[in-house]
Amino acid sequence: MPIYKAPLEDVRFVLDEIVGADKLAQLPGYEDATPDLINQVLEEGAKLCEEVLFPLNQSGDEEGCTFENGVVRTPKGFKEAYDTYIAAGWQGLSCDPNYGGQGLPKLVNTMLEEFICSANLSFGMYPGLSLGAYNALSMYGSEELKQRFLGRLVDGTWSGTMCLTEPHCGTDLGLIRTKAVPQEDGSHKITGTKIFISAGEHDLTENILHLVLARLPDAPAGTRGISLFLVPKFLPKDDGTPGPRNGVACGSIEHKMGIKASSTCVMNFEDATGWLVGEPHKGMRAMFVMMNAARLAVGIQGLGLAEVSYQNAVNYARERLQGRSLKGAKHPDKPADPIIVHPDVRKNLLTARAYTEGARALGALVGYHLDVAERHPDPRTRKEADEFVQLMTPIVKALFTDIGFDAANIAVQVHGGHGFIWETGVEQYVRDARICQIYEGTNGIQALDLVGRKLGQDMGRLLRRFFHPVAADIETDMEKEELAEFALPLAKAFAKLQQATAIIAQKGLKDPEEAGAAASDYLRLFGLVALGWMWLRMVKAAQAKLAAGEGNAAFYDAKVKTARFYMAKLLPQTNALFITIMAGAKPLMELEDAAF
Amino acid sequence: MQIKRAAVIGSGVMGSGIAAHFANAGIPVVLLDIASKEGDRSAIAKGAVQKLLKADPAPFMHPKNAKLVTPGNLEDDLHLLAEVDWIVEAIVENPAIKADLYTRIDPVRKEGSVVSSNTSTIPLNVLVEGQSEAFQRDFLITHFFNPPRYMRLLEIVGGEKTRPDALAAVADFCDRNLGKGVVRCKDTPGFIANRIGVYWIQTAINAAVDLGLTVEEADAIVGRPMGIPKTGVFGLVDLVGLDLMPHIAKSLLATLPENDAYRAAFREHPVITKMIAEGYTGRKGKGGFYRLNRAGGQKVKEAIDLTTGEYRRSEKVKLESVSAAGRDLKALADFPDKTGQYARKVLAQTLAYAASLVPEIADSIVAVDEGMRLGYNWKHGPFELIDRLGTAWFADLCRSEGIPVPALVETAAGQPFYRVEDGKLQHLTTAGVYDNVVRPEGVLLLSDIKRASKPVWKNGSASLWDIGDGVLCVEFTSKMNAVDGDIMAAYGKAMGLIGDGKGQWKALVIHNEADNFSVGANLGLALFALNIGMWPQIEEMVEGGQRTYRALKYAPFPVVAAPSGLALGGGCEILLHSDHVQAHAETYMGLVEVGVGLIPAWGGCTEMLARYSKNPKAPKGLMPPIATAFETISLAKVAKSAAEAKDLMYLRASDGITMNRDRLLADAKAKALELAQSYTPPEKTTYTLPGPTGRTALELFLEGFALQGKATPHDQVVCGALAEVLTGGNADITEPVTEERMLGLERKAFMELVRTSGTIDRVEHMLTTGKPLRN
Repeated sequence: MPIYKAPLEDVRFVLDEIVGADKLAQLPGYEDATPDLINQVLEEGAKLCEEVLFPLNQSGDEEGCTFENGVVRTPKGFKEAYDTYIAAGWQGLSCDPNYGGQGLPKLVNTMLEEFICSANLSFGMYPGLSLGAYNALSMYGSEELKQRFLGRLVDGTWSGTMCLTEPHCGTDLGLIRTKAVPQEDGSHKITGTKIFISAGEHDLTENILHLVLARLPDAPAGTRGISLFLVPKFLPKDDGTPGPRNGVACGSIEHKMGIKASSTCVMNFEDATGWLVGEPHKGMRAMFVMMNAARLAVGIQGLGLAEVSYQNAVNYARERLQGRSLKGAKHPDKPADPIIVHPDVRKNLLTARAYTEGARALGALVGYHLDVAERHPDPRTRKEADEFVQLMTPIVKALFTDIGFDAANIAVQVHGGHGFIWETGVEQYVRDARICQIYEGTNGIQALDLVGRKLGQDMGRLLRRFFHPVAADIETDMEKEELAEFALPLAKAFAKLQQATAIIAQKGLKDPEEAGAAASDYLRLFGLVALGWMWLRMVKAAQAKLAAGEGNAAFYDAKVKTARFYMAKLLPQTNALFITIMAGAKPLMELEDAAF
Repeated sequence: MQIKRAAVIGSGVMGSGIAAHFANAGIPVVLLDIASKEGDRSAIAKGAVQKLLKADPAPFMHPKNAKLVTPGNLEDDLHLLAEVDWIVEAIVENPAIKADLYTRIDPVRKEGSVVSSNTSTIPLNVLVEGQSEAFQRDFLITHFFNPPRYMRLLEIVGGEKTRPDALAAVADFCDRNLGKGVVRCKDTPGFIANRIGVYWIQTAINAAVDLGLTVEEADAIVGRPMGIPKTGVFGLVDLVGLDLMPHIAKSLLATLPENDAYRAAFREHPVITKMIAEGYTGRKGKGGFYRLNRAGGQKVKEAIDLTTGEYRRSEKVKLESVSAAGRDLKALADFPDKTGQYARKVLAQTLAYAASLVPEIADSIVAVDEGMRLGYNWKHGPFELIDRLGTAWFADLCRSEGIPVPALVETAAGQPFYRVEDGKLQHLTTAGVYDNVVRPEGVLLLSDIKRASKPVWKNGSASLWDIGDGVLCVEFTSKMNAVDGDIMAAYGKAMGLIGDGKGQWKALVIHNEADNFSVGANLGLALFALNIGMWPQIEEMVEGGQRTYRALKYAPFPVVAAPSGLALGGGCEILLHSDHVQAHAETYMGLVEVGVGLIPAWGGCTEMLARYSKNPKAPKGLMPPIATAFETISLAKVAKSAAEAKDLMYLRASDGITMNRDRLLADAKAKALELAQSYTPPEKTTYTLPGPTGRTALELFLEGFALQGKATPHDQVVCGALAEVLTGGNADITEPVTEERMLGLERKAFMELVRTSGTIDRVEHMLTTGKPLRN
């Protein structure tokens, strides 16, 4: 049976010593979000995840969702768990208090999401989609729509979806065919088919609010002719309770590789009543609000899976007695040494650990900037924070989900043959992790977003938000004797990243295929440097604590050693990536299509 | 004959502008207008000189040139005409009044002096009617374009009796001394440029109305895509004045041949007539086809709706036809929408009209193309435009538009109007054969050299050319001629090739034929490098530039730069390091780095300090040269002419000025060869500088500025860094500072500034808006 304990100590370390989450309480509206309160909330959240959600993960995977006569049933226990979840107000944790939310920082929610995804990724899909719908509606919906629907999303009695993909188009949304016909009362009639709709139909809530992309009759072709509509499963009555069934129904659900307890639906809209969200033809803009938030959330899914995979791998490596250490028996009292004594096993474990902890720090930093971008009184600071988030979004999404999959694979590997067995529980993480690299824009698309959109924007202004603080940290820390061993490898990798950035920008201007060919390697290079930066900050904080003799010395000592592992064993991948990037597009493009 | 003194009669916009330009050429000029009835009898001409001094863009290249203009009146001062070699008449376009004036001046003028009229519409044979034989021999038409200093075209027309030597002397004077592109025209209405230009304007307006285009759409077609200034046609009429158009039309209609196509094209549009009647006559009036509406405290660009005649908010247009066609003019004319149709109509009618006028208005197509290029700032003349379409394709276009195919196009029979044969540019004659395009004597064009040869060497931003007699020429080819690493590499390559100057190559000339010599260092590249924190690379860029510029300065061969247009920042600094600058009169030099939060660091501070220190006219003492350099650089002063650049010492007294752009390269090359005969590199300069005490003085001065609100917070940061450089850092007067040390200070200050957010904001703002940020 798999195990899971929320990594509260590491989260506290990241929040207090890396991100400086105590500054959150200085932001208007977050006055209550003191470190103490945040701690309490996360401890409660950890309990919920460990005790309520985690026990349903394997059973949910086994049972999956079922579809019968247009009705989708979630696995046993999910409805009760969901009721517990919303009863405690978790759904509205970071939502607007005016609509019943608790108004806590997004950073807190980001950390909680990691726990949920570790505990039960399939379950997490339902509240996650609702939050996406909440974000889009609260930013672009009319006052009337907000009054009618937001409260229900916040208290979790109703849930939300994002209906983008159609049978013939996913990445290229310009091709969308679903139609919206204006009605005299200001509403619209929506007709069309959407596929791959997560949480499109289920039995957890009394109503479901679909946010649907569709075309108005006078819509221009392409993405500039797409509008966003709110289409409820049940049309609300005047008193706000669900009324008559709307013209939307689930046609079937998909049988999938992973996240089996999350329903993935074909949704058929037939003259379904909907209301315009935002301006006509500006649906992509609203969609991007959802999508950007969702991309970060998917990145956190990867992190959650990495963490739980790591925990199980370590647990097994400690317990499994097999053979002896290469240098002779370490536990002569036992029939064999635990496999954790072996260098290669340790390499696997440390890889998962170093990626996971680095990603957690980076994820928290991005989460913090989300709050600054929204709440900081100084417009310039807000803008700069937003630019940092924009730049890091594709990296968080792609890098973290790659890490999640890698860590899950490592967990299976460390388990040996047992890892391949369903009951052990870790192979589920491999299957669950796989979708994270695909949905919300495949990781290849994330890489294109990074080199195509983020890199060149305003002659590299977004880049400044990352490169300048990293350059400054390196400069200061290189001077310090105790940090030089960490700062130097980072400086080398950073220089490679700078060079690659300049060259891709230059080559990409002349030939976009050059940028495209470098994209995914570049994203990985960027991501590795970003994690290296986090490790430099972490080791600095840990050394300070050790020197001062404060806190849990074993914890800080492990930080220093993991940092050393990262700088010595993982970061040097940047060299190979750099060489690959320099090789350009030709090796990819010269073989004729027909010759494949 | 030689022209040493001149007179202009009529002190209106054209007359006074022509007088100012004589003064720009160093020629004393008498400016006469009618006598005032009361007070100062020369008040009108005097007032005109005052207006010249305030006009923008400035008619004078230097305010002191005004002293060369002697204002007077036509009653008391006619005797002054006895001293001048050339009298230009620029009075009202009325044959009777002109005739009366001619009879009055003929008896007093110097024997053998030339008289010319600046008429744009009255035929020469009408003007000389009834005048003396001598007058008729000495008379010609010299048609300047407005504003005379800046517009390069001069149309010159001789009559049957005009002395050929007079014609030749005036043409030569206008070419060399006034810097004009002189085009000989026949005595036909509107000569070349206006004849075609007015027809083009009329056609373009007609077609816009007929096809229902907005003025923005029309200008987006009949502008950039055709190589015409972006003002297009409606923007141009706003500049010229809507009210002027009916006058020109009337005059042309009175004199044009019976069957001229303009007669059929001429149309009065009620919307325009109403605009003129209500005072909407263009930029000089209440507004034109476009206006800036300042009502409500905001500046809103508005445009006229051609159907209703009402103003509405101006729309930025992005035409599908233009983006789809790219540089292909044919594709634009073939684009299946009304904007494509518009392009088709305007091109067909205008170009066919122009083609039908040779040989009626000029003997060769070369004169017609030159006229439209220099008189209307078209990038390509009509025949060059037809070549872009192909003569056969154009003939088909005429047929499909129901326009008779012009005889000359038939003659071309599918062959181009211009071709390159053995490296020589040739044009098609009316006889159907190709003749070489002949440049005036003493004109050397890089474009001709480029046609005839391959570059000695080139990279992405620069080429090296063999311009003959052992002189190598660096040409910038980067966007806006921005200076980058490739240009530095080209200098390096040139130095390698020339070596000690005793072999195949003797000297280097730095020149290009773009509108602007160079706008300075490539800021876009710099900003990107800066955004990703590539500090060592940025420092290397600064140091590399310093090394290259110094190497050129101390190279064992002469370096002569020949700029025209803007030479800013790093593009100005290369001029400061050249042994000699042969500047086009219209060269605008400036060290403008402060505008983007930086200081000149390719030796600009160091060189300017050396120049001001060596200025014999400066007050004695350590501080005056430092203060002057500080002022020039901190205010980012840009000279509005080569003459002004001498005042600011961006140019040395010994540097040369060439009035005619086409003669610039030849002059520079001659100078380079002259210097090469016995060349020794300059001596190194050392600087005696006050160090911190001097800096404190400058900082006090700066604080004063800040208190008056004249310096922003970041100005103080930038100027503080500049002060540190110019005072020699921690120098002290007992120890002279070397050039190397000065360059080190420039570099240090630059690297400090480049890391400040204030500077990054300025660079970014400049790149995104084109304007300096005042932060």
